[in-house]
Amino acid sequence: MTSADGIGPGRRVRAWVAERAANTGRPVSMSVLCETAMLRLGISGVTLTIELPAGWPETRHATDGLGARLAELQLTVGEGPCLDVWPEGGPVLVPTLDEAAIQHRWPMFTPLAVEAGAGALFALPMAIGTIRVGVLALHRVRAGHLTAAGVAESLAFAELALQLQLDQQAGPRTTEAAGLQLHAPQVHQATGMISAQLNVSLKEAFSRLRARAFADQRPLAELAADVVARRLRFDTEGGAS
Amino acid sequence: MTTGQTPQHSTGRTPDRTEEATIVTDERLLDTFVELADTLTDDFDVIDFLHLLVERCVELLDVEAAGLLLADEHGHLRLMASSNEHVRVLELFQLQNDEGPCLEAFTTGARVSSADLGDAATRWPRFARAATVAGFAAVDALPMRLRSQVIGALNLFHAHAGALPATALRSAQALVDVATIGLLQERAIRHQEVITEQLQTALNSRVVIEQAKGLVAERLGVTTDVAFTTLRAYARGNNQKLGDLARLVIAGHASTRDLLDSGVARPKQAARQRRAPKPE
Repeated sequence: MTSADGIGPGRRVRAWVAERAANTGRPVSMSVLCETAMLRLGISGVTLTIELPAGWPETRHATDGLGARLAELQLTVGEGPCLDVWPEGGPVLVPTLDEAAIQHRWPMFTPLAVEAGAGALFALPMAIGTIRVGVLALHRVRAGHLTAAGVAESLAFAELALQLQLDQQAGPRTTEAAGLQLHAPQVHQATGMISAQLNVSLKEAFSRLRARAFADQRPLAELAADVVARRLRFDTEGGAS
Repeated sequence: MTTGQTPQHSTGRTPDRTEEATIVTDERLLDTFVELADTLTDDFDVIDFLHLLVERCVELLDVEAAGLLLADEHGHLRLMASSNEHVRVLELFQLQNDEGPCLEAFTTGARVSSADLGDAATRWPRFARAATVAGFAAVDALPMRLRSQVIGALNLFHAHAGALPATALRSAQALVDVATIGLLQERAIRHQEVITEQLQTALNSRVVIEQAKGLVAERLGVTTDVAFTTLRAYARGNNQKLGDLARLVIAGHASTRDLLDSGVARPKQAARQRRAPKPE
């Protein structure tokens, strides 16, 4: 998935977002991310919805009216790609909405979406296992596939959005350039262990783990390995940051 | 710790098996394909399926351990299933994001083997050392291919030095292909988007399992590999999908209370009963 420029989609997407922020004189934010995704992926618009504790998604950013409309439609009729990313936490990518199989899959949503002017909708979960944070939705008025590189970059945009959102909820601090290191299994094992130690949700446990890694200036995966090996607990005095 | 059979002779795997033994293996291979195909129902559990597959790899190919890795969008190889969840073995898979046979198989799309890890110290210094410490002497990595794309790799570990016999290699390749079919269920030629949907969903399913492993390990005061065995035995004993059980445990659902409270930390018996008898 590494392209001709020799860097992977994660670093490429980060560089694009940083560049866009610098060029427009703004800090890196969710709205900068959504704009960058729209400009770089050749799509019509980007919509970001955040999962609220009550279980309802809330639209936080929409680069255009159509995106906001699509989000609203799916909530109203209770079906659609952005809802189907759950419970599995995998993307739902629909290059052509106006198609029999898609009409059949979402009989209420599809005709309304097509009527509203959408040709394609790509829903990318911002998720870590069972931790649901939100959905990054890309839409295009024209139907058509994303390129293979575009698919990888879309996932990278969603992962960066996930990281930004978690940072925003955790309070001000620098976003790690290394990304979330979600490929390291001990990070998820440690999250489960901390959740049991503190009797908190996995989301809260993951947030504590990251906060501690940030405070100690240690890589997340390394700190997580200490938790899994039981060299570090979060429920003892001074254990939690 | 491992489910592999101990080789009959200290010389390790026998390249010149008798014809009879080969026929027995062929039959078992067929049985395995039937068993795996039966698992591929509409809503099968992908992690469970891949675990069954790596366990059968160990039995049929006469290897010590087998693991299946998938690449994420960053090209990171992430473990989906291992016949052995011991932390030392899991580290061997993780290490291969830097160096090792799986990384090479993934980047080149060709099978990568080392019949003697003692000779691989220059090629993969860290991997060769760690694998030797974990008790392995030889290794194979077979790429998982979908047309021109490589989506992951099957890793086989051997306790004794020596090359995998040609028949075993063919079987291994067939098992890798079955794994690919299981992961990417629809047969029609599809665009990258559909492949990505299925691979990403599978990757996230494994994360759910890891989260549940951590939770159960902490509640029961056991290691994460015991937590995994416990979860899997409980899922089987209750005719439940592993992924569903993991989600229920995480959600703190009442039906999993007996798993967490009474500590079904005696999963071995159930696991053994389920395991197919060893071929003589």
